Amino acid sequence: MATGLAPRTLLLAHHGTAGAEQAAALALSLAVPGQTRIVHLYVVPDFWNGMQGDDWLNNAWTRDAFGRHVEGQLQSEAQEQMKAVAERCAAQGIECAPRLAYGKPAECLLAAARECDADLVVIGPPRPKGTPGLRSRMDLDQLARGLGVPFMVATAR
Amino acid sequence: MVYTHRSPALLIIGIVILAWGWLNQSGTADGLQAWLHPGAYKEQKQDADKHQAAEKAAADKAAAEGKPAPEAKAMKPGKFDGVKQGQANFAYIFGGIFSVIGLLILAVRPKEGHLDYYISIFPGMAFILSIAFVVRWGLDPMFANWGKAAQPTLGWNFATILNLNYVVLGIVIGMIVVNVLRIPAWAGNGVRTARFFLKTGVVLLGTLYSAAELAQLGALSVVMIGVFVLGSVWLVLLAGPRINATNSMTGVLSAGVGVCGVSAAVAASPVVNAKAVDIAFTLGTILLWGVLCMFIFPTVGHLLDMGPVQFGAWAGTGILNSAQVAGAALAFDPNGIQTLKVAEIFNITRVLFLPLIVVWLAAWYVKREAGAQKVDLGKVLVAKFPVFVLGFIGLFILSSMGMFAPAGHYQGKYFSSTEIKEDKLLKEKDLAALQAALPKVAKPEDNKALQDLIANKKLDTRDQDNLLRGVAKMEGLDKGAKDALGNAHKAAWHDSKIIRAYRDWIAWLFAFGLTGLGMQITVASIKQAGGKPLIIGSIVGLIKALGSLVVVLLFVREFV
Repeated sequence: MATGLAPRTLLLAHHGTAGAEQAAALALSLAVPGQTRIVHLYVVPDFWNGMQGDDWLNNAWTRDAFGRHVEGQLQSEAQEQMKAVAERCAAQGIECAPRLAYGKPAECLLAAARECDADLVVIGPPRPKGTPGLRSRMDLDQLARGLGVPFMVATAR
Repeated sequence: MVYTHRSPALLIIGIVILAWGWLNQSGTADGLQAWLHPGAYKEQKQDADKHQAAEKAAADKAAAEGKPAPEAKAMKPGKFDGVKQGQANFAYIFGGIFSVIGLLILAVRPKEGHLDYYISIFPGMAFILSIAFVVRWGLDPMFANWGKAAQPTLGWNFATILNLNYVVLGIVIGMIVVNVLRIPAWAGNGVRTARFFLKTGVVLLGTLYSAAELAQLGALSVVMIGVFVLGSVWLVLLAGPRINATNSMTGVLSAGVGVCGVSAAVAASPVVNAKAVDIAFTLGTILLWGVLCMFIFPTVGHLLDMGPVQFGAWAGTGILNSAQVAGAALAFDPNGIQTLKVAEIFNITRVLFLPLIVVWLAAWYVKREAGAQKVDLGKVLVAKFPVFVLGFIGLFILSSMGMFAPAGHYQGKYFSSTEIKEDKLLKEKDLAALQAALPKVAKPEDNKALQDLIANKKLDTRDQDNLLRGVAKMEGLDKGAKDALGNAHKAAWHDSKIIRAYRDWIAWLFAFGLTGLGMQITVASIKQAGGKPLIIGSIVGLIKALGSLVVVLLFVREFV
């Protein structure tokens, strides 16, 4: 930690959901301009690996076109979110470092926390059951056991 | 990038497969095989006992007559021997290939290039094939035996009703591998070849259709697919805006639910600029429905006592995802190819509709979405055209021209009087029975056909065979005459070895392909089923499944 309770490197997991917005608000409330650097982790979940499913009728050209399309979509969504968080940080004078990862959310978060030497991790609350959205939840148990630094879960409103 | 993993896995798989071949060849696995194939084993044992008794009787007779003992005749290989020899041959061929390439992978450091890529697919292929071997040679007969054994207690054969055969088991094991055990890195490239082999299976199926059959099935499939595909695409396009689904979501869903499932959604996504979440929801929904239908359809088919044409037509129309159409058809009828043949015609018709539907959706999307990029419709039509269908048509034409069996054959069976062997000519007993039946045959042309048969002791023409098939069904004809006519018919019809080999290869290609496709169905992607696509997809999927079932039961009759 830097002075007082202000974190030096705060790792924020954010991918544009309502819960992630809570996490961003919490992170920004904890960050201190000039002292805290927010590392924004955006995870593209690895279930996309299986998203061509058992397609067998298409030729390679069509599958490649689909792959490029999905990659393009995921990339533009990620860039949009990273830009939005960076702008909010900049508005408060907080340094922001976006980081894109592909894999299981908890594994990516653990790796990012290690690599960026985070001293606080902030994530959003689990999505309430029945809320529409992609099924790629953060494994809180894995996170609690694997993280060597404090982590905060933003409360659901 | 070097794709080949320097792993001993391929060599180990090759050696294990070779060992299985040797165990069968040497008779060491006879105990296990007798347990797996009790019927064939019992039959062969009875034949061996009979053969021995006949040999002994002949020797005793010769001894009584003071003649030297006749030379012992070798017994013809029975079904049980055939099973073992077939497995040994397969195991030697594939075990040998895998062992050699496995050694090569370990001995030579692969360099980047085409050769590396082609070598890298073998471990995965061996991985799928070893599972297919275990399932087809081990689990399939095992469940069949258990099903029969439990039938007196349960009152029903659980293996038949639940379709626990090599196709369903292969897909299920494939799904378990990818979701629980994970596909090993060394097998990744080879697993992706499953779709190629599935397409090869469809291409080879082209050899098994007659022109009349293809015309009948083609016409039926065009009508049914036309109504249900266009109907469900239209229904989704109608329902989407009403529940405030975006145009891109509606577009990708209509293709997926309407045409051929995942493949259609993959083809349509770029042209309707589908968002990532639309794709995930849609593909999840289709996979969920596909997997459920693959288990439910064959069971319902058995319960309703459907025939191959009815079931093939229903599965080919009602199952959302085309991969599961083949799976369901083989699950329903694993030992024959009749149902698969019907279902695949429907699949091919669906895939031929695909480019047209993609063009329709592209035009629909551009019209409704401001700022949407215009698509070159001609280019889309060409790019989405399923080239493998040309292979299917090509093999059908070659087969019809008599390339693999004499022209006019049906599924490899053909009529030939000249190929009738001496020992298959009608015996005196048969001729006497036919002579006695002659006065009962009133129609002059039938009578003439019968007289010719008696004179020549065999059938001469196909027309004669057709006439006498009718005579054999006559009331009042005695059993001896009917049997004689049956013997003459059997003797004149021959089985093409090439087509028979194709049938066996087709079954293996589908077993391999479907096991490999099972390895590409992840629970994580099925779990994405949700949102509006799940609601619309489920409603339209249900309408399609039930609607096509009603149409099939009411209007489709067995004609193959």
